[in-house]
Amino acid sequence: MKNSDSEYRLEMTGISKNFGVISVLENVNLKVKPGEIHALLGENGAGKSTLVKILSGVHQKDAGKVILDGEEINPKNTHDAQVLGISVVYQELSLVNDLSVAENIYLHKLGASKFWMNWKGMTKDAQELIDSLGFDIDASAIVRDLSIVQKQVVEIAKALSEETKILVLDEPTTVFDPTDTKKLFDNLFKLRDKGISIIYISHHLDEIFKIADSVTVLRDGVDTGSMAVSDTNTDGVIRLMIGRELKDLYPTRDVQIGEVPVLEVKDLTAKDTIVHDISFSVRPGEVLGIAGLGGSGRTETAKLVFGAHKKKSGTLILDGKEIKTMTPVCAVGYQIGFVSEDRKEEGVFLPLSIRRNISVTDFAGISGKLGFINTDTEYKNVLGLIEKLSIKTLSSEVDVKNLSGGNQQKVALAKWLSIDSKVIFIDEPTRGVDVGAKIEIYNLINEVAKKGVGVVVISSDMPEIMGIADRILVMYEGTFYGELTKEEFSEENILRYSIGKSLKQVV
Amino acid sequence: MAFTIKQQLSSPAGVLKFLVKYNTIFIFILLLVFSALISDVFFTSVNLSNLLKQVSGIGVISIGMLLVILTGGIDLSVGSMVALLAVTFAILVNVVILPLAIVLTIIIGFALGSVSGYLVAYQRMAPFVATLALMTIARGLGFIYSKGSPITFKTPGGEFMSNFANNATIGIPNIAIVFFLIVILATILLRYNVFGRLIIAIGSNEEASRLSGIKVNKYKFLVYAISGALAATAAVIVASRTNLGSPNMGMAWELDAIAAVVIGGASLNGGKGSAINTLMGVLILGLIGNILNLLNVPSYPQQVVKGAIIIFAVLLQRFESK
Repeated sequence: MKNSDSEYRLEMTGISKNFGVISVLENVNLKVKPGEIHALLGENGAGKSTLVKILSGVHQKDAGKVILDGEEINPKNTHDAQVLGISVVYQELSLVNDLSVAENIYLHKLGASKFWMNWKGMTKDAQELIDSLGFDIDASAIVRDLSIVQKQVVEIAKALSEETKILVLDEPTTVFDPTDTKKLFDNLFKLRDKGISIIYISHHLDEIFKIADSVTVLRDGVDTGSMAVSDTNTDGVIRLMIGRELKDLYPTRDVQIGEVPVLEVKDLTAKDTIVHDISFSVRPGEVLGIAGLGGSGRTETAKLVFGAHKKKSGTLILDGKEIKTMTPVCAVGYQIGFVSEDRKEEGVFLPLSIRRNISVTDFAGISGKLGFINTDTEYKNVLGLIEKLSIKTLSSEVDVKNLSGGNQQKVALAKWLSIDSKVIFIDEPTRGVDVGAKIEIYNLINEVAKKGVGVVVISSDMPEIMGIADRILVMYEGTFYGELTKEEFSEENILRYSIGKSLKQVV
Repeated sequence: MAFTIKQQLSSPAGVLKFLVKYNTIFIFILLLVFSALISDVFFTSVNLSNLLKQVSGIGVISIGMLLVILTGGIDLSVGSMVALLAVTFAILVNVVILPLAIVLTIIIGFALGSVSGYLVAYQRMAPFVATLALMTIARGLGFIYSKGSPITFKTPGGEFMSNFANNATIGIPNIAIVFFLIVILATILLRYNVFGRLIIAIGSNEEASRLSGIKVNKYKFLVYAISGALAATAAVIVASRTNLGSPNMGMAWELDAIAAVVIGGASLNGGKGSAINTLMGVLILGLIGNILNLLNVPSYPQQVVKGAIIIFAVLLQRFESK
């Protein structure tokens, strides 16, 4: 039964949701037309994910109505939602690592199938589906062996394997480089033109303005407005998101960059990865950017210097002295820090308190001879850092899993500040972090640089890396292909180097 | 700032939260009251000291198990190690002076644990597999060295140990005191020492630990070695209690130890657990056995009850994580 009165495919009205005493959503409305891309925006913790989870049956609403094609629906679980044609691609990948790509895509059918599976047919269908998306992934490959980008593509293919009316994407491009992002967008346009409604959650405002038709903004569990994208602009959206004017996303840095490099890397080649012949230096107070496409070896380069990957050859010189970093233990001993791009898996200890997270690098500083911890010193250090980094928390004893992405990132950074690192590698400093926290992290990077630390920032976010770096090295196929000075910064230049082309000659 | 107990108890929801958070202590007290009500003999000093003596051996290996489980591992070898090391101690106490016999037994336990530790930490063997292998090896060696029959203490040193193990100081059995001291030591290590902090960090996120510059392998190695040394301590305790070392000792103790740690709220994924709660887990398991014995319940139904308590305790802990 179609209700022809409404122009909307999906109407969520007056949605409220409490977790215990905390109100997460309050009287929120979201209306999506058929064949449109509707952006859902808001800072971390604004309630976007909860709203989506109510739509997909993960959470049950406390009040309000959800109407799909004129009929009220109440999905009790994700299966109900799928049957209704609602598919969600979550931020956290939900693939089964040990199964093949095809098995993952049709996982929901495996359970419902008769005794025998048509493996061949399934693999063929999956391959066609992935090919139609324009990505090069073997459907019979085991998911464990895929890169994180490929996993994300499989996740999207999985959502599309069912008859879908509403497709929800939660931060789908965080792991994508620009070429992959463009491919994804082309696919979304195709789906939109087929009449599918797409709800798109992203922190990248420029993405929203590229692809979305309309937008709904949430702030602290309340919707602060819905409008056509053509009726607003970045500043307007940010105002709705954070409730104040945004002066400057990339704060300026007033730092005297040292003359003598704090860290020099010469002809570094990895044993097990594609990284080879890496040479660069970073000076005290300098923010060095490393750009490049996914798979070009950016993270691997940082991990190689940090000792997390094995080296084949090359020299490292710290403060004029040659050092060897065979393992991260050595690197930390030389006061080299590394903030991983994969915050949850490699960066923080989610089930542990903020205090325990921050202290983990600095036991030498807070413990005596037999390893007994001086808790007074520990609290003093930790509380000092919490305040300095303005980590939003009730106390130092709150578990890190209960913090927002931005605050988690600050905790990940804090542990390197507690040991006065000389060089810090920061891989994707603001992945999955909202606008407000982004600025705080940029400020933090500035402050770290001000203290004379050499900061190396790896980022796929081009405006970001141009906004914060003093100089950018661009990687291509495992080595530095080119260097850009501040005057040469442009998305085009970064992109040209990252695909192995030279810069356009200025005539 | 931090939530105090007072704040927690100020609302009905707070009381519930408090109970869930300290559920092991709560279950323990409940069982204690229940036991006292149901049996006249329970609160006699003879029974209570018997209870403590019975749990001390398993208690000591449970602390080793806790350390291993905190790193996300498991040590299946401890039961068999108790057998092998009890035999070892019985042999040693008959040939060398007592202090040396004790020290050597603990060193051998540490060395045997080091084998598991080496395999897990440096050869990346799954803890389940490595310690399973050690389990059968240790049991086999126990039978080989004892030629299959118990070895009794024959020297004054052995007699001294036997007296020590069966006597009490200010009403508390000596071996229970040893167990409690180990619990206190473990609590201090886990709360205030870098060692404890690091093994919890490793258990909660091994990769993040590695990337924070923690010597992950060294600490993983150490927990198995310590677990071995604690198995040796338990072996000395149980051998002294019975005045002999038998290769049949410690049968399936590793499972009781795991049960105690789990009832004590530790996560088998690592990173969560405390020595005090493990003590509670040990006492809860001991109490159940004790009260069922007093009620003349045969041993097979006892096993069913034990299993049910494990399920109940873990279900209760699920509320905590919500």
